[in-house]
Amino acid sequence: MLYQTTQEHEELRAKVREFAETEVKPIAFMLDQNNQFPTEVVKKMGELGLMGLPYEKEYGGAGADALSYAIAVEELARVDGGVGVILSAHTSLGTYPIYAFGNEEQKKKYLPDLCSGKKVGAFGLTEPNAGSDAGGTETTAEDMGDHYLLNGEKIFITNGGQADTYVVFAVTTPGIGTRGISALIVEKGWEGFTFEEHYDKMGIRSSATCQLNFNNVKVPKENLLGKEGQGFKIAMATLDGGRIGIAAQALGIAQGAYEAAVEYSKERVQFGKPICQQQNVAFKIADMATKLRCARFLVYSAAELKQAHAPYGMESAMAKQYASDIALEVTNDALQIFGGCGYIKGMEVERFYRDAKITTIYEGTNEIQRVVIASHILGKAAKDTSAAPAQQKGPETGARKRLILKDGTAQEKVETLVANLKKDGHDFTVGIPMDTPITQAERVVSAGQGIGEKKNMKLIENLAKAAGAAVGSSRPVAETLKYVPINRYVGMSGQKFKGNLYIACGISGAIQHLKGIKDASCIVAINTNPNAKIFKNCDYGIVGDVMEILPLLTAALDTGEKQPAPPMVKMKRMVPKKVYQPRKLYVCNGCGHEYDPMQGDPENEVKPGTAFKDLPEGWTCPHCGEPAEAFIEIEA
Amino acid sequence: MYNYRMVTDDLYWVGADEHRLALFENIHPLYHGVSYNAYVLLDEKTVLFDTADWAVGRQFIANVKAVLNGRPLDYLVINHVEPDHAASIEEILLRWPKVKIITTPKAVTLLNQFGFGLDPNQIEEVKEGDTKSFGKHTVAFVYAPMVHWPEAMVTFDTTNGVLFSADAFGSFRSLDGKLFADEFDFDREWIDDARRYYTNIVGKYGPQVVALLNKAASVVGLDNIKYLCPLHGPVWRKDLGYIIDKYTHWATYEPEEKGVMIVYASMYGNTEAAAEVLAAKLTARGVTNTRLYDVSSTHVSYLISDLFKYSHLVLASVTYNLGIFPPMHNFLMDMKALNLQKRTVAIMGSGSWAPRSGALMKEEIESLKNMTVLDEEMTVTSSLKADNESEIDALADAIAASIKGESK
Repeated sequence: MLYQTTQEHEELRAKVREFAETEVKPIAFMLDQNNQFPTEVVKKMGELGLMGLPYEKEYGGAGADALSYAIAVEELARVDGGVGVILSAHTSLGTYPIYAFGNEEQKKKYLPDLCSGKKVGAFGLTEPNAGSDAGGTETTAEDMGDHYLLNGEKIFITNGGQADTYVVFAVTTPGIGTRGISALIVEKGWEGFTFEEHYDKMGIRSSATCQLNFNNVKVPKENLLGKEGQGFKIAMATLDGGRIGIAAQALGIAQGAYEAAVEYSKERVQFGKPICQQQNVAFKIADMATKLRCARFLVYSAAELKQAHAPYGMESAMAKQYASDIALEVTNDALQIFGGCGYIKGMEVERFYRDAKITTIYEGTNEIQRVVIASHILGKAAKDTSAAPAQQKGPETGARKRLILKDGTAQEKVETLVANLKKDGHDFTVGIPMDTPITQAERVVSAGQGIGEKKNMKLIENLAKAAGAAVGSSRPVAETLKYVPINRYVGMSGQKFKGNLYIACGISGAIQHLKGIKDASCIVAINTNPNAKIFKNCDYGIVGDVMEILPLLTAALDTGEKQPAPPMVKMKRMVPKKVYQPRKLYVCNGCGHEYDPMQGDPENEVKPGTAFKDLPEGWTCPHCGEPAEAFIEIEA
Repeated sequence: MYNYRMVTDDLYWVGADEHRLALFENIHPLYHGVSYNAYVLLDEKTVLFDTADWAVGRQFIANVKAVLNGRPLDYLVINHVEPDHAASIEEILLRWPKVKIITTPKAVTLLNQFGFGLDPNQIEEVKEGDTKSFGKHTVAFVYAPMVHWPEAMVTFDTTNGVLFSADAFGSFRSLDGKLFADEFDFDREWIDDARRYYTNIVGKYGPQVVALLNKAASVVGLDNIKYLCPLHGPVWRKDLGYIIDKYTHWATYEPEEKGVMIVYASMYGNTEAAAEVLAAKLTARGVTNTRLYDVSSTHVSYLISDLFKYSHLVLASVTYNLGIFPPMHNFLMDMKALNLQKRTVAIMGSGSWAPRSGALMKEEIESLKNMTVLDEEMTVTSSLKADNESEIDALADAIAASIKGESK
C-alpha cells in the first residue's frame, strides 16, 4: 500500500495544471478585481472534459473516478480558488443530485449538457432562515396538479445566475419539518425565476454567487427529483459528496499559497541569505508541507471511498474540515513569509488568503462537519423532541395571491393589474369620499415614505379619486412628515383597514403597518424595491416607481365622476387550500389516550411520523401500559 | 324500611336516590339529585348486579335484604367499579361472605387498588363473550372498555333481554318513586340531564361508545334488547330507539339540532351587549333556535351539554391578561378534553388595548377535530358601536347562511 495516485491521475493533474496555468493564471487577478465570472474558461473546461469527470460516459461524462474530480478541483484552486469552486459546485452540487436521484428521463435530459459543460449546474438549499438547519426552509412548492408553484428565495448560491439548471429544495408538505422538503430541477429562464446582483464577496470572486428569487415559478411535476419528501435526504447525500470538492478546493488554495511561499523564500534575501535558510521560515515551510500532506491523504481517501461505494460521510467531513482549517493556517503562514509584499493586491498569496476563508464556511460549516463526524462516532444526538417542526410563519397579512408584476412596461403592468382587479369584482364606477374613516372605507389608497416630497401627495389624491377610495398613509407619513392627519395612518397602533381594496404606494411594509391591513380583502403594492416586505404581503404588486406608476394607474381607473358606492359587501379574500388530510388516529381502550402518528410517542422514543403499524415491538401505551392491540382505529 | 321495585319477572331494582349531593364526581352540580341503581335477579341462584354509593348504603342494603327475603346471595356481578357503584361492596361481603364475584380482570386490579382486599377464591373473572347460567337466566358478558373506565363491561340477560348497561344510558336526576323512563315525560324533564351526564362524563369516549353500540348490534342484536338497566337514572323498556338515537348522535359528535349557542365572556357588559345584538340579528334573519349563555355564571357542564346538542357555536370573549377570559378558556379546555367535534364556530373577540382573545379562541377551536370556523370574525374594541354594524351584520349573515345550509 503506497498511498500513491495512479499514472492516469497524474496525467490528468498535469493536463489540468497546464490549463490552469495558461488559461486561468494570467487573468486571475483581473477576475478577482472585477468580480468577474470566467465564462470562456468554463467553456474551455467543458471542451477539456472536466465538467463531468466522475460521471459515466453514457451520460456524456468522462467516466473517471471521484479522485480524478478531486484532483481537477485541487489543480484549478491551486491557481484560482474561484474557478475551483465553479467546477466543484457544478459537479458535486448541480449535477450529482440529478445523477444519483434522477430518473432515467431526467438523467437523459439534463446530464449530457451538464457533463459536457454546455450547461452549468447549481444547487439551491440555503435560505435566510435555513443555513445549517435546513429544517427552516421557507421556500414552498405547492402542488397544483400537473406542476408545482415555487415561491421563495435562496441565498449564497454558487454559480447563481450563470448556471442553467438548479436543483432547488422547497417545502411540499408544510409543518412536518425536513420530511416535508422536496428537490426540484428548475431551469434558468422560467417565468418568475429571477436573480439578484452578485454578491461582492471577500474571496473566490471569480465565482458567481447570488440570490435566487422564485415568484410563482411553475415547475412541471416531471422535474421532481426522487419522491416528494425526499429532498432533505437528497440534499444531505449530495453534501456528503460535495465536501470532497470543497476539501479539494481548500487543498488546492493552500497548495498554491504554499508553493508561492516556498518560491519566494528562496529568492528573498535578508541578513545575507535567502530567508528559507532561516530556521524560523524553514520550520514554517516544513509544517505547511506536513499539513498539506495530511490534508491530501484525507481528501484522496474520502474520494476513493466514495468511488468504492464504501461509507464515506464521516471521512469526507473530516477531509473538508481538516483541509479547510489548514488552508487558513497555510495561507496565513504563506502570507507571513511574503511579509509586506504579500499584503499588496495583485500578489497571489493575498488572494489565496481571502479565498481560503470561505472553505471553512460553505457546504456545511466546519462546526457542522464536527457534528457530522461526532455523530458517526457517538451516534446521533437525541433530537430535541420538545421542539416540534418549526412553525412556519406565513406573511403578516395571511395568505395572499402575491402576483408580482416585474416585467414589461409600466403601462403593461398597470393594465394587467387593473384587469385583475376588475376580474376580482372591484367596481370602479362607484366610489367613496376621500375622507371616509379608514375603518369604514371600502377602498384606501395609502402613501408611504416612498412618495417623497409633499407635493407628490397630489398623485395619491388623484389615484384615490380615480379608484373611488379614501386616502391613508403609513405611520411616518402622518406622524413625522405630517402629510395627512394623524387619524389617517394605517397600522397596528393606528386605523385598521378591513375593506376590500388597499393600494399601498411606496410603503415598504413594516410589521406594524401590515398588522393594520391583514383583514383587507385585496392588497396592491407599488414599490421600487422588489424585496420590500409589502410584496410578500400583497395580492398584486407592481415593481416600479410611484412617480411613474401612479399617474398611469390613475388614468386606467378614471371613469369620470364616481357614483356613490352602495353599502360595502365584504369581498372574499384569497383562502389558501387547507393542508388538512384526514388521518387515522388510534385510541387506547385502557385509558382513552390517542396515538397520533404525526406526533409519535416521545415518552417511548417513537419519532413523529411513525405509523401505528410501525411501532416497535412491545410498544405499550405511554399512559396506562396497554399493548398496541388494545387500541382502536378512528378517522380524524 | 325497604324501597325496591320490580323491573320484570325475577328482576328487582334495589338502588336508591341521593338528593343531598351538591356536586356529582365533586365537579358537576346536581339540582335534582341522582339515583344509584343496582338490581337483584332471583333465579335458582341469586344475583346482585353492582352495588351503590356509600351515601345510600343503608337503603341499598335494606332493599337487597328485602328482595332476597332470607335467601343467601350467591353472585355479585360487578360491571363497573367506580366508587359511586362499588362503594358498598365491602358491606355485601360482610353480610354474605360466600358470595362469588363475577367481573373483569381489570376490575379486580382496580378493586384491589381501591382497597377492597378481595379473596381470589371468591372471584370468577370473565372474558369477553363468556356466558353464565343462574338457572332459568343465562347472561353474556360484553366488555365495554373506556365507556368511560377501562374495566367496564355490560351484561346481557339472554333469557329476558335485559341489558345491564353500566354507566351507558345513565342520567343525572333522582327517580323519586318512579323507575321507568316511560313513567316520566322524558323528552321534557329528563333529556337535558341525560345529555349533561353523558357529554360531561362519557363525552370524550365517543369512539368507544360507537364500538360498544356496534358490538351490541352484532353480538346481541339491538332488537333483542328489551330493557336497558343503567346504573343511574330510569330503566328503559319502551321506545329504546329514542335513547339509542341520542347516543348515536352524541358518540359520533353529530349535533342533534340546527341551532346556535352563543357563549359570551364579559367583564362589564359590553361583550354581553354585543352578544345580545348578534342574537337579535340572528332572530331578524329567521334563526330563532338560539341559546345565550354567560360563561361566568353558567356551569361549564351545562355549556358542554348544550354544545353537544346544537350545530353552531358563537364564542364572544373579552381579552384578559392578554389571553382568553379564564372561564371561557376553561370552557375551551373542556371542549378539547371531551373531544368535541363537527361544529361550526363564529368568533367574536373583544378587548380595549390589545384584543387577542379572538385569535386565541380560534387557535383553540382549530386544534379540535373537524371544526369549521367561519371566516367572518370580528373584534369589538371596548364596546360595540355603530361603526361595527356592518361587521356584526356580516357575522350574522354568515351564521344564518351556514345554518340554512347555504354556502356563502
